[in-house]
Amino acid sequence: MNQNDILKQESEEVEKLLTVNKLSPENAAFHQTKGGFITLTLSGEDKGMVNIICAFPFTAPEEYLSVRTADDKQEELGIIENINVFDSQTIALIKAQLEIRYFMPEILKVYSVKEEYGHTYWSVLTNKGKHKFTSPSGSSGSVIRKDNRVIIKDSDQNRYEIKDLTKLTPKEIKKLDLYL
Amino acid sequence: MENKRPLSEMPESLKSVVESNNLLGSKLLIFAKADMTHNCEFSPFVLLLTEDALIVGTNGKLGMTDPDKKEPDYTEFSFLKYQIKDLSDPQISTFVVGGMFSLKIDGEQIPICAFTNAYKGRVMRIKEILSLLIKGEEIKEERLFEEQRDEFCPKCGMPYPEKNRKICPKCMDKRKIFFRLASYFKPYKFHLAAICVLCILSALVNSVWPLLNGTLLYDAVLAKNKANSVFEALPIEDYAVLLLILVLMMVGVKLLQQLFGVIQGVIVAKIVPNVIARLKNKVFASIGHLSVSFFSGKETGGLMSRIVDDAANVTNIFIDGLPFILPNLFTIIFSCVVMFTTSPLLALVAIATLPPAVIISIKMEPILWHYNSRQFQTHRDFRSKLNDNLTGARVVKAFGREESEKARLQKVNVNVAHAQADAMNFDIKYTALYHIAQSLASVLTFTIGAAFVLSVFKPPMTYGTLMTFTGYVSLLSGPANFFSYIFRWWSNSMNSAQRIFEILDAKPDVTEKPSAKPKPDIKGEITLKNVTFGYEENREVLKNISLSVNAGEMLGIVGKSGAGKTTLVNLITRLYDVSEGEILIDGVNVRDMRFCDLRKNIALVSQETYIFKGTIFENIAYANPKAGRKEVLEAAIAASAHDFICKLPDGYDTEVGSGGRGLSGGERQRISIARAILANPKILILDEATAAVDTETEKNIQSALKELIKNRTTLSIAHRLSTLRDADKLIVIDDGKLVEEGTHGELIRKKGEYFKLYQIQSKALAMRGIGD
Repeated sequence: MNQNDILKQESEEVEKLLTVNKLSPENAAFHQTKGGFITLTLSGEDKGMVNIICAFPFTAPEEYLSVRTADDKQEELGIIENINVFDSQTIALIKAQLEIRYFMPEILKVYSVKEEYGHTYWSVLTNKGKHKFTSPSGSSGSVIRKDNRVIIKDSDQNRYEIKDLTKLTPKEIKKLDLYL
Repeated sequence: MENKRPLSEMPESLKSVVESNNLLGSKLLIFAKADMTHNCEFSPFVLLLTEDALIVGTNGKLGMTDPDKKEPDYTEFSFLKYQIKDLSDPQISTFVVGGMFSLKIDGEQIPICAFTNAYKGRVMRIKEILSLLIKGEEIKEERLFEEQRDEFCPKCGMPYPEKNRKICPKCMDKRKIFFRLASYFKPYKFHLAAICVLCILSALVNSVWPLLNGTLLYDAVLAKNKANSVFEALPIEDYAVLLLILVLMMVGVKLLQQLFGVIQGVIVAKIVPNVIARLKNKVFASIGHLSVSFFSGKETGGLMSRIVDDAANVTNIFIDGLPFILPNLFTIIFSCVVMFTTSPLLALVAIATLPPAVIISIKMEPILWHYNSRQFQTHRDFRSKLNDNLTGARVVKAFGREESEKARLQKVNVNVAHAQADAMNFDIKYTALYHIAQSLASVLTFTIGAAFVLSVFKPPMTYGTLMTFTGYVSLLSGPANFFSYIFRWWSNSMNSAQRIFEILDAKPDVTEKPSAKPKPDIKGEITLKNVTFGYEENREVLKNISLSVNAGEMLGIVGKSGAGKTTLVNLITRLYDVSEGEILIDGVNVRDMRFCDLRKNIALVSQETYIFKGTIFENIAYANPKAGRKEVLEAAIAASAHDFICKLPDGYDTEVGSGGRGLSGGERQRISIARAILANPKILILDEATAAVDTETEKNIQSALKELIKNRTTLSIAHRLSTLRDADKLIVIDDGKLVEEGTHGELIRKKGEYFKLYQIQSKALAMRGIGD
């Protein structure tokens, strides 16, 4: 490899890094493997298994989805600007993957919230069953609140979501009030 | 393997199921639990990896496991056994929380199970060891052990609120902490005793007041009937004189009360600051001994509040709490005795009306505290936002964002206002309710008492006695409140104390062996043998690195950002200890060397320079406080720092602030090089020493460095490869692995990774007209 080749290769790599490869039904097809994973065929080329990542998981979970190789390198293959350009089957496939990737039990009921010695002890009912966890209180980041949506991180960094605060009973909201 | 436990250790209930079903077949290497199916439904899983099979067990039940039950019933589990020869490509797909474990079986990637963060570490281990088994590689014994780490309090079964802090705030031995804390007050035991005596005296004086103000005033003096009172013995018949005496007594009581208060305050002022200062000093001294990992794991803010707030918190209980227990008890008993002897019936009424106020206080006080702490929290947010804004003022101005910053600050400010309003509202509600309850109680007592005075009830009571009586009733409410919150106060203080003691007791990860032999003079030969290291368990940053550098040689370390270059030098200075393998200096393992010898012989010049608050002279002499002006001057000349220092109005005596404000990046860098020259180490580490400066300054620094590296073993990390051309040997690190090794010429001829980087850089530099 001479100097020019290297430089050419380098500028190509940079070029690749700087261009956004827009994925649309015209150039991209997603399939499901037997094991339930997603593969991508991009412009007729099989790219193997891929991971789909939300660029804006809180504010725009169905826009700007980054599709990346499933290996350690996690190279970006392209971006889906809006999931709705795909057919309903692909949308369902991608959504199912996102649901797993952004898995978060939803809190349906708050049995008790108690603060002791700088830690908040939660006892809740989630859509996945009863659960108890501890979160550091007062520390920034353990409770994220966007209007009426609340995400609580426990001390393992597991996340729990209250999709709509107003759907809880006034009594539960009162219990939560001091911790949000 | 102290403090380590084998990864194959299973819970007893699982062990008996595994044994009774004869599941294993060969030696169990590692056991892991997982908690979700591949569809992210909660369900318990166990993974058992033996030398030739992976066994997966689950009970197929969906839903979270009962939070109060730590182990599922393993007899309900069914198990699937995969032979390792049939498996390939084990993978972990990482999710936002936890991840999924999958394997290739018969050419198809199949998900096995998913897991939340609590189980991540172990499943990652299974994946790693399985990969090695599939490749047929040997598995080192030490990989099959992990640090002993319990997640639940053995006493109450609650998860530890902080994973790395094995303290259950509920079950900690508060008494032990208390006595340990008390030892800090030992030098002041006489002072404390004096405080207690003063408290009792105040209580006594307090208890006299209702007598003066009630029976004596109304029944004896104003009713002109001194019989059966203390005035009976006085040969004075003029009630105006008696009134004067009574007033003097009352003034005396009030003066005594104030006097006791002042003396107490003076004593407290003597003890508290001293004890707090002593605690803070101790904490600071302990923090200094801890390893670097302690600091990377904690926020500086948290540490500061520990030192400052906790120390103040713990002393409070000794000053404002404990000394008042006895006097409060005394007041209660004395008041009750007086009340019951005066009128048992009225006393019963008075005591029966007390609880509502106490209950209101017990119920509402914690909520008030909570509101207050939220108020405090919003204040802190506001301060940090303000700090953010002022520090970043240049950026704000540069982008013309003053208006939006104003809005952002306003938002935080509104939160402060809300929190304040909430706290005030609640406080008003609480105070009002409390006083209503208290007033109702006294009105009730007074009304019934008045009925005694009017002889509706028998025996009749004088007006003065009633006044004295109600005086004692109101005396009671103070102690009743005191006892309602002292216990919670005590717990909180003990928790603060616990946090302080944790720092005092923390053991550094990197410790000096007692058997470490002195080795004051070293030659500087460095050898790394199969070094593997990760900051977190299961995440290796350096993988199996072996290399050697002869004394006096220069080793250039090249690699992308995040490849592990800085980590490598951190291991040599023993800021961290290797996970596997060993590092030798002059043939001696760094773990067998004394810290003082190691630190004395190794100096670091890094991209991040830190200038302490003090003069430039002090900053250079930091490496060797014994150095005189001559040595410091010579070092500064060698570091080409002398010139700019002399141009400063105050020369070497120029005060530089914390963070070195007022000096440019290049100037700070040259001071830190001068510091390293003065340290005169045998091993010198340059970690991107010139990355932060312009080309002109870099040239100056380079010439300074040339002077510095003479006769020393030098490890130099640099992005600009031109600076490494003179290195005796170069290594290229990529993704934690050593991928190339040799001299500049050898690596250029090899046309590998180094050659590629070199070509790109020299071309780029030539284009900018600064080629070498």
